Amino acid sequence: MAPTSKHKNYRARRQLLLAICIAIFLLMVNLLVPLRAQASSQIQSTSTPTAQPTPTFDLQRLEKPVIASNNSEQLKKGAEIYWGVCMACHGDIGQGLTDEWRDAFGTEDRNCWQSGCHGPDHPPQGFLIPKDKVIPAVAGSSKLTRFNNAQELHDFILANMPWWDPGQLTDEKAWQVTSYILSLHKVMPKAFDLTDTNASAIRTQYAVPQPSDDRPAVLTLTGILALAAIGMIAQDLRKNKNRVAERPNFFHHLHPPTIPALQARFRYTLGAGGLAVFLCLILLVTGILEMFYYIPTPEHAAVSVEVITSLVPFGALTRNLHFWSAQALMIVVSIHLLRVVLTGAYARHRRLNYLIGLGMLVLILLLDFTGYVLRWDEGIRWALIVGTNLLKTIPWVGDWLYRLAVGGPEPALSSVERFYTWHIFVLTLTMIILGAWHIFRVRRDGGVAVPPPDQRKDNARLSRFDLVRREVLVMVIAGVFLLFISVFFPAPLERPITQATVDMGVNAHNARAPWFFLWVQQLLKLGDPFFWGVALPVILLIVLAILPYTLPQTNENELGRWFPRGNRLAQIIVILITLAVIILTIIFLIPTTQL
Amino acid sequence: MKNISRRDFLKLSTNSLLALSGILGIGGLIRYLSYQFDPTPPSEFDIGSAYDYPIHSRTVVAHIPAIVIHDEDGFHAISLTCSHLGCAVEERNFGFECPCHSSRYDPNGAVLKGPSTANLRKFRVAEAEDGNLHVFTT
Repeated sequence: MAPTSKHKNYRARRQLLLAICIAIFLLMVNLLVPLRAQASSQIQSTSTPTAQPTPTFDLQRLEKPVIASNNSEQLKKGAEIYWGVCMACHGDIGQGLTDEWRDAFGTEDRNCWQSGCHGPDHPPQGFLIPKDKVIPAVAGSSKLTRFNNAQELHDFILANMPWWDPGQLTDEKAWQVTSYILSLHKVMPKAFDLTDTNASAIRTQYAVPQPSDDRPAVLTLTGILALAAIGMIAQDLRKNKNRVAERPNFFHHLHPPTIPALQARFRYTLGAGGLAVFLCLILLVTGILEMFYYIPTPEHAAVSVEVITSLVPFGALTRNLHFWSAQALMIVVSIHLLRVVLTGAYARHRRLNYLIGLGMLVLILLLDFTGYVLRWDEGIRWALIVGTNLLKTIPWVGDWLYRLAVGGPEPALSSVERFYTWHIFVLTLTMIILGAWHIFRVRRDGGVAVPPPDQRKDNARLSRFDLVRREVLVMVIAGVFLLFISVFFPAPLERPITQATVDMGVNAHNARAPWFFLWVQQLLKLGDPFFWGVALPVILLIVLAILPYTLPQTNENELGRWFPRGNRLAQIIVILITLAVIILTIIFLIPTTQL
Repeated sequence: MKNISRRDFLKLSTNSLLALSGILGIGGLIRYLSYQFDPTPPSEFDIGSAYDYPIHSRTVVAHIPAIVIHDEDGFHAISLTCSHLGCAVEERNFGFECPCHSSRYDPNGAVLKGPSTANLRKFRVAEAEDGNLHVFTT
């Protein structure tokens, strides 16, 4: 025994050392990346010319637009437009039409409102500058105060500039000019492209901390996890049959000492239940992290989502992980439900747990919908209005349900807070309770459904050590997959709902429900909203719920197998429902010809 | 009634009292959650000077949302909120179409194609003393 334990000690120590090394390396990666970004931003800020008005005007500074080579394309183009169009009136450093700036024009043109081009008798290509009109500065302390953020500045420029011919700028050009003006104003982050979905996070009255690209760090983490997964698989391949008895830790104790090997076959369970638990954990952690920055008010909700997505270090990762885990959960639990029916596993004493599971499916749909609405951007507006108006169509209790969900006569002030509370507290808490009950019932009902011991072909048993190792392996692989998707496929976001977007009617193009409700949206095209949008989905749910209570069930000896003979009718019903949902979704997605 | 034992009677009354308090509690919860702090949405919109809406013009006012029509009969307006489930309809050459569930209406707001079953609502438009048009959505 002595040499073995010594060997084991040594191995444990080596593993510990390795773990510490990895941890230090990760910390370094995480720390170094932002540091480097900060260092370079400091250099940039000293190297960009911060020309102050000098007593004698240096005309050289007007020769060409000021463009630092490391600026974004958007900023460079903005600098050119500003130099060519805006500078004459707003000044080369955004000072406005000051006396000092007019001195630069030469004696003839100094009095803009009297000279040829801008006097009362201006030629056709000129225009009048009224003497009483102050041409505002666009940069400098306490300037641009009428705009809260880059989005508002952009909207103003797009609608009102250039002053003599408003509306000639394209959306793209307005962004370029906005970007350049904000850099004159010294609040524009470096290497940052303004868009409809991040500009509300860029403030005009103070510079937000320079965001850094954290994708290299995330990819490093993904790579390390992938290597760890390969290592775990390699360890499993050279399985040591006479392993020294380990002492079970906390996580081992959450499992029974051994389970029948039949219950742990991947081709039977598809790992869907376990994966769902893992995804729920990720959703819980990332959701809590999002709560630190999310502000549940109509003015701030979408802006705070922009802050999370484009400014907070690893914020985009957090949000993408939350989004993709939610989408994956929807798919995984659907597969889990299909598996349970198609293997007849819900029979007899397991049917209560089947109902609990269906309840959780409904909760997940509600959680997905409320979470989607919390974006409070233009993308969710019609889904919110349709979804809540559907509640109104329910006879007798409709109006009351609507008020309960929305908190007012129409989606407005109170609604974000309502949806926030439904999402992060009521639904989540119910989900945790039902989830714990569901897992407890799995154990109480004797684990995953397999034939009784005397009718099994294989009576081998799997220890909890092997079970936990498999679970961890699946978690690591799923984690790698999620991280990878989260780096390359950002979660959808559109511009915030504001009074301006409502007035402009910005959002009309986006009338699509979240993907898991597209089949309902297609059904709603058929007619009566209550029948197709509320009653039919509820009937489908009831059909699913009464399967174990009405239709024939599998025999015990048939358990643990796909497509057993005993519950064929239930299998056919569930396959038909699944096909109908998929076909309706596809019909919706086929583009229809416009008249 | 006579053959209910004292024990059963006590049990029954205790349980009914518990149930009653539960129902009262749920009633309180419903009232609590039904309170409306938000103001009711406006039913009258000032859409600016009548001169901005010349004769034979059709102008979309997105924030109502409605289309203001000025023809021989004067000013009137058609709601752009779909009567099916409340999305804002878009203008097409045949009239209006809802982007959510493809209901169609003719230029006067009458249903051409379902799922919608009701025409787009008509809003009253009146000129105020200051020359501004007001749209009434009730």
